[in-house]
Amino acid sequence: MECSFALTGKDYVLVAADTTSARSIIKMKIDEDKIKTLSPHLLMAYSGEPGDTVQFAEYIERNIRLYHIRNLYPLRPQSAAAWIRRSLAESLRSRHPYSVNLLVGGFDTADQSPHLYWIDYLGTMATVPYAAHGYGSYFASSLLDRYHNPDGTLEEGLATLRRAIDETSKRLIVAPGKYMVKVVDKDGIREIEL
Amino acid sequence: MSQIWKYVRVTPSGGRVRGVPARSSTTSISLPGTPDHLSSQSTLILRFVMSIMEHNGGSVVAMAGKNCVAIACDLRLGAGAQTIATNFEKIFPVTDRMYLGLAGLASDVVTLREKFRYLTNMFLIKESRPLEPSTFAHLVSSTLYERRFGPYFCEPVLAGLERTPSGSYKPYIVGTDLIGCLNFAKDFIVTGTASDKLFGVAEGLWEPDLEPEDLFETISQTLMNAVDRDAYSGWGAVVHVITPDKVITRTLKGRMD
Amino acid sequence: MATADGGAYSYSLTVFSPSGKLVQIEHALAAVAQGTTSLGIKASNGIVIATEKKSSSILIDDSMIEKVAVICPNIGIVYSGMGPDFRILVAKARKSAQAYWKIYGEYPPTRVLTQEIATVMQQATQSGGVRPYGVSLLVAGYDVHRGPSLYQVDPSGSFWAWKASAIGKNMINAKTFLEKRYNDDISLEDAIHTALLTLKEGFEGQMTEKTIEIGVITVPTTDELEVGKIGGETGRPKPTFRKLTEEEVRDYLAL
Repeated sequence: MECSFALTGKDYVLVAADTTSARSIIKMKIDEDKIKTLSPHLLMAYSGEPGDTVQFAEYIERNIRLYHIRNLYPLRPQSAAAWIRRSLAESLRSRHPYSVNLLVGGFDTADQSPHLYWIDYLGTMATVPYAAHGYGSYFASSLLDRYHNPDGTLEEGLATLRRAIDETSKRLIVAPGKYMVKVVDKDGIREIEL
Repeated sequence: MSQIWKYVRVTPSGGRVRGVPARSSTTSISLPGTPDHLSSQSTLILRFVMSIMEHNGGSVVAMAGKNCVAIACDLRLGAGAQTIATNFEKIFPVTDRMYLGLAGLASDVVTLREKFRYLTNMFLIKESRPLEPSTFAHLVSSTLYERRFGPYFCEPVLAGLERTPSGSYKPYIVGTDLIGCLNFAKDFIVTGTASDKLFGVAEGLWEPDLEPEDLFETISQTLMNAVDRDAYSGWGAVVHVITPDKVITRTLKGRMD
Repeated sequence: MATADGGAYSYSLTVFSPSGKLVQIEHALAAVAQGTTSLGIKASNGIVIATEKKSSSILIDDSMIEKVAVICPNIGIVYSGMGPDFRILVAKARKSAQAYWKIYGEYPPTRVLTQEIATVMQQATQSGGVRPYGVSLLVAGYDVHRGPSLYQVDPSGSFWAWKASAIGKNMINAKTFLEKRYNDDISLEDAIHTALLTLKEGFEGQMTEKTIEIGVITVPTTDELEVGKIGGETGRPKPTFRKLTEEEVRDYLAL
């Protein structure tokens, strides 16, 4: 079942999401990228109702891109997260609400600070140092409480992330097999092999 | 109170709260003997039902003192029993002498906070006069009632000092339900998942004409002891004491579990 | 072709004449200038607004004519110009005041209501298929924040605050008269007498309680305000604006 994790470090945000695409009990695909690059310093991991997820993520991606094109600079992480949250909150009271949960991680180049937001399909938004969605969150939360270091190096962050993923793989019956990990820092976004 | 097993009648179409997808956290269990009066079209089942108002948890309390008012909230943000964040403030400044507390569905807390910020900014620009608590209270009430048949799942509490015609200030606290029914009080207002406990403790601790420092102690003790008996509230608190010339804001650590 | 004055520009409202004027608005002001005189004076403890009520025939029952209108308990207005246009504005202003009350639980401050009326009048200078309102208004009101205030609104939608002003037929003379008579610490009683004297200047025919209408704002005392916005058992605020009865007008005329 779908799992996503994210955590901040001294000057980066790590975002990880499983790569399984499933219909009911059947795996359809094992190399799905569920982390969108919204702008040069902004990442968004999405999960939830199949169909809604891609549809909503693309809507967000295109609009954030449009903002960048119109204004020649990208939306800062705080503003982007607030706008994404509002989109979901408005969707919730529409005829067909999107059932999508998000982790939005970004690096604010204006003041050189990492930002992470936990957002759910209700339009709830929390500013957090680490976060998780899906069944994995039941295993990861306590581990992250114990091991997360807000001033940690990338290596330290990766080690903590690996702990969370390993624990989920060990204890969760329906654990996903593979994860994609991305990092955002002052140099932009890149994928990391765990 | 917060989570309840309920008998729910299920029809093939399935009943839902409009706009908000039904959230039942466990699978339904059919009862051994379905009552006869129910048609075969609908079944009575026992479900673990959770109210939208209690989904995220959180509590707010406001108290009136002598020439001052205080308002306090906890910091937890949950998703059911799971704690997501412990830095979620539920009280927001409206003017220099008025704060608004919002407890309920966290999504609506933020949406309403943004809506009221917009409305107060527009008021101040259009009317270029101070916004008094009594005026703002009615604005809150009418804004919530506008959504009478599809409400915001939030119960606001307002605490402020109202300027009297002679130029002094008098304490003003008011609460509303989720559709904007105003509830004025001389002593205290409570809301949120720990509201029942808050009523009890506040009833015991509050007394009239408390000075700012004593009011701070009273409201802090009230909130802390109430949220300790509520699984959905807690994880620290923020207290604001509003006096005519300054606002004292303190962050408290409580039982962090 | 309307060649008399405005030329081709006098028909369409949204077209500026080469000299930068909207000629229809000028025509509306001309309609106001033909209307009966109205005036307003702000005193130290209140405001008076007054107007001349003229009927074309003695057979008309003039007790039915209302030129000074109550908008809400703290605001009243008077007009010069076209009666039917005024009636529409009164209806809109009253509705707007009640809408404000529904949101804020109190009646609008004078400036807010004036701005609301002015917006309605401005929109009639820019919308298709309508003509500007053929009236100028004097708005007298009281609110806690700004105290008593007197505004004038013109057909263009512009508005100003005045200490004393006059609109309609004799406005030039009346304003000159008011400039001579006005001082900052005039009392409401004196202001009412000055208002009557000013009207008398250009009055045609007999000035009686039947041919004069007066409205006053009385500034409440601090004690009255301290009682609260909600007054007594009725749950209604104590009015600060009221129209003088025919008896009261007669008493003032007798002095």
